Amino acid sequence: MSILMDLATPIVMGILLGGLYSLIALGLSLIFGVVKEINIAHGDLVILGSYFGFVGLTFAGIDPMLSLICGLPVFFGIGYGIQRYLLNRAFRISMDATLIIAFGISIILQNTYQLIWTPLSRGLTTSYSVESFSAGPIYVPLVYLLDLIVAIVVMIFLREFLKRTYMGVAIRAAAQDWKAAQLMGIDTNRIYAYTFGIATAIAAIAGVFLGLTFPFTPLSGMSFLIIALGVVILGGMGSIAGTLVAGIAFGLAQTIGGYFFGVSAQMLVAYTMVLVVLAIIPRGIFGR
Amino acid sequence: MKTAMIKSQKGFLLLITVGVVLALFPVIGAPRLWLLYLFIFFIYLSLANMWNLLAGYSGLISLCPAAFIGLAGYTMTLLTWVGCPYYIGMILGSLAAAFFALIISFPVFRMKGIYFAIGTLVVPEILRYVFIMWVPVGRPLYGGGGGYPIKGVSQVSPALTYWLALAIALISTLLMRFILRSKLGTGLAAIRDNDITAACSGVNVFKLKLVSFVIAAFISGIAGAVFYVYQGYIEPSSAFSIQWLVIIMLATVIGGEGTEEGPILGTLVVVFLYFSLASYAEISLIIQGIILVIIMLLAPQGIIGFLRKIRN
Repeated sequence: MSILMDLATPIVMGILLGGLYSLIALGLSLIFGVVKEINIAHGDLVILGSYFGFVGLTFAGIDPMLSLICGLPVFFGIGYGIQRYLLNRAFRISMDATLIIAFGISIILQNTYQLIWTPLSRGLTTSYSVESFSAGPIYVPLVYLLDLIVAIVVMIFLREFLKRTYMGVAIRAAAQDWKAAQLMGIDTNRIYAYTFGIATAIAAIAGVFLGLTFPFTPLSGMSFLIIALGVVILGGMGSIAGTLVAGIAFGLAQTIGGYFFGVSAQMLVAYTMVLVVLAIIPRGIFGR
Repeated sequence: MKTAMIKSQKGFLLLITVGVVLALFPVIGAPRLWLLYLFIFFIYLSLANMWNLLAGYSGLISLCPAAFIGLAGYTMTLLTWVGCPYYIGMILGSLAAAFFALIISFPVFRMKGIYFAIGTLVVPEILRYVFIMWVPVGRPLYGGGGGYPIKGVSQVSPALTYWLALAIALISTLLMRFILRSKLGTGLAAIRDNDITAACSGVNVFKLKLVSFVIAAFISGIAGAVFYVYQGYIEPSSAFSIQWLVIIMLATVIGGEGTEEGPILGTLVVVFLYFSLASYAEISLIIQGIILVIIMLLAPQGIIGFLRKIRN
């Protein structure tokens, strides 16, 4: 009985952390599902969101969530530009080319952050980021709960957007069969750029909440990218519900793994899980 | 056909001549700095050749060279701590890397194309955490976790590490020539162009990919081990760093992925950039990233591909 009580905290924390992971993975999953490319730079775009919140907070004292709302169009623009002017061209060359170019973008971003913000570890510290509340015997930091709520809200928005708007339908059409979509008069290049833009905006949201939850460095993108890749693959590419479930699975693996093997092993558990998922169910649990 | 043979022999002779001239450098008293530049060039060239074998010829975008480098380096280091001389450690280390490649081939070869890339990206990260946590011998000295000095290499002269690196660079270049002109090379070319057609024509796709993966692991491992003999210490964050991949990928892509001469030219450019921008580390990497993107967009076949296009 007591082990169950002890496990209650890691389980609750794992589920809430899973919200953050699925939020980070959501943009990656969208690009993977629609454009069929792996955006290796996704983790670094997430960290760009964290730094964006950091700059607003330290230099103007603006709440990260508020600056995020103003920043979303900017992030959409950045993502749109990357896909439109770089990756759409790489497509025509080969599949490897998109991967290598995304890798190049990742190197550029990481080192630009180091240059501007130094390699020091940063965090977004606001009045609510240190608060926690108790539910029975469990103490839960407020931001963890916020992570899960925001993840679900963003997912519902994305789902409705894809379902009900003209652009959303066009994106789904391009995802299902880009040749048929082109024959129906859809400019797939433009659709891909829009998708990448939306994914980058979601990455920025994830970045701000990541910054509220964890400290980050210019190189943090890589470790979150790896977990996000695991989430995307376990959840099945392009599946929104799958991303949430897989995100929670990874959150739980990390916190419960940390409970049994010590805090330093928790990333190891999550990474090993990525490899196992890739080897055993490369199409994921919700994959088509 | 005959002219091709003569041309091929000419290339071989040129390679040997250059190799002999380079081997004489420490004897005739070339400046120490030159030897260092060339040493780094040899190590990177061996690694780039092996990456080219996988990405350019076998259709395997392997993102885990750091796993082989770090593992070989660590095996060697740990062996020197239990009293083994470093040269035996080097061989056993590269065998360990090859063996590791064999083991991870079971999970990662189930993944195709882009999934393979993701799978191999995770491997060095896992190893890094393992070696940060696991302190097998002695007390940790360098870095956060299992950082070690390599015992018994302080007496190794720079000339010897230079020759070792040169030998591996030559072997890897000759091996590429040999592989590409052998049955393995033709099979790999068939797989790269279309693996289903190749399998239908009786090419054992799995076996050929596995052979090139293990060869690449072995040579990358030995190049890594020589690098750590020169460096004298090893620690997990740099041994399993993604930085290795950045350099290797850059060298291959700049020169020309899937061309034999590509890695040689590309590594020259990378080493030149590395040393000319050494005092601006971050800017240097930003520039390298920009070059990577531009080359891939404008000349996906690299310098060699560009030259070929001009000639035609």
